[in-house]
Amino acid sequence: MHTSHQLELYPKQTVTQLLFKGVKNSAELRKSAMEGKINAALINPKMIVDSFQVLVAANKAVHLQSIGKMKTRGLYSEIIFNLSPANNISEAFKRFGISDSDDSVLVVLVATDDESQVLADITEKVDGQQVPVAELPTLTDVMQIRKLYKVTPQEEKIGSLLDSVVCRMATKDVV
Amino acid sequence: MEPEESMAVSDFLIKGNLLKQGAEARVYRDTFLGKSTIIKERFPKKYRHPLLDEKLTHRRTVQEVRSIQRCRKAGIPTPVVHFVDYTSHCIFLEDIVDSVTVRDHIVSTQQRPHPGPTLEHLAPLAAKVGQIIAKMHDEDVVHGDLTTSNMLLRTSGYVVGDAAELSLVLIDFGLSYISALPEDKGVDLYVLEKAFLSTHPNTEALFQKLLKSYAASSKKSSAVIKKLDEVRLRGRKRSMVG
Ligand SMILES: Nc1ncnc2c1ncn2[C@@H]1O[C@H](COP(=O)(O)OP(=O)(O)OP(=O)(O)O)[C@@H](O)[C@H]1O
Ligand SMILES: [Mg+2]
Repeated sequence: MHTSHQLELYPKQTVTQLLFKGVKNSAELRKSAMEGKINAALINPKMIVDSFQVLVAANKAVHLQSIGKMKTRGLYSEIIFNLSPANNISEAFKRFGISDSDDSVLVVLVATDDESQVLADITEKVDGQQVPVAELPTLTDVMQIRKLYKVTPQEEKIGSLLDSVVCRMATKDVV
Repeated sequence: MEPEESMAVSDFLIKGNLLKQGAEARVYRDTFLGKSTIIKERFPKKYRHPLLDEKLTHRRTVQEVRSIQRCRKAGIPTPVVHFVDYTSHCIFLEDIVDSVTVRDHIVSTQQRPHPGPTLEHLAPLAAKVGQIIAKMHDEDVVHGDLTTSNMLLRTSGYVVGDAAELSLVLIDFGLSYISALPEDKGVDLYVLEKAFLSTHPNTEALFQKLLKSYAASSKKSSAVIKKLDEVRLRGRKRSMVG
């Protein structure tokens, strides 16, 4: 159900994604994450086009952590920050983090070793139904994403929405 | 901590498949985040002062990344950037699969025995190149290194003689910059003309096609072509003196 990807540049680190629908305790989850009781990034799946987008954000976060150049205080907040086209941290959380009213959540973990216990813990905390990560595109809010990333119509003629989103994420430090 | 980090990327590249060793950069192909990826690594030049070298290399990396994004936004095909490591000066780019450089394509077309003249077969491609450069210049992106090696032609779905099917991708923006000056764009075309005619003998007529298409596609082409003529003249005068 979940997907795991070992980072090619940091082979000791594996990025795991879990998708939940029909979530009833978003407010509680968000609070736990803020208090550090949940060690994961809780992402609003409506703002995700494809799990590749999350891998791009996670790889960058691990990279910046390893060189001591993160813009935020932790790896998980850095992943959420990296997803955003803007350079404002609270704005990134507002758009890409979960809100109390959300009924779906994408949980992202970066783990160094056996993660089965961590996965079980998280799954336990979410009051909702886990679905395959491949279902992400059914939750994507395409219009909202186009608007937020300012994707141009010309751009979508030469590539996919995912291309546009990923390229903005990867270039935002210098553009 | 920084040197340690650069190791992450260099350890990775050691196992990569080296495609091209250039004077400024090495280009690799490898799997990254699960996808086939092109990695362009700008390495230090030992003969330059380390600080100056670092600055120049960083600037090229930034310029390349910026121009790619600016072009894509305007609908000019360039590879998607997936990741940039500014400490090891590496750009991780979408692999344009099933592509050949325009250079290789022209060379192989010229070598093939054709029933008709080569020009006819390559004319739609030349027109497309002119059109895409016009679009880029209209966005005030000056490429800085226009050669037929820095353009990729997608081979999937490619039909000879049908311009509509031609899918071109511009690459190698390390020397690019933003400028609205017709002079800068004229020099960009001059660089291409020199490279084109020296790489591909007997293609004067083909290059004229390219320029004609450029002139027809760009909103501001007349001032640029005028500058191109001036730059040519200067070039000729210089070679007469030298
Ligand atoms: N995104 C890509 N997809 C497929 N092939 C690529 C891609 N980028 C580069 N290549 C291949 O690698 C070659 C070299 O790439 P590029 O022109 O960017 O580097 P370079 O010429 O070594 O750079 P520089 O001119 O700065 O030294 C290209 O001619 C092309 O064959
Ligand atoms: Mg090149």
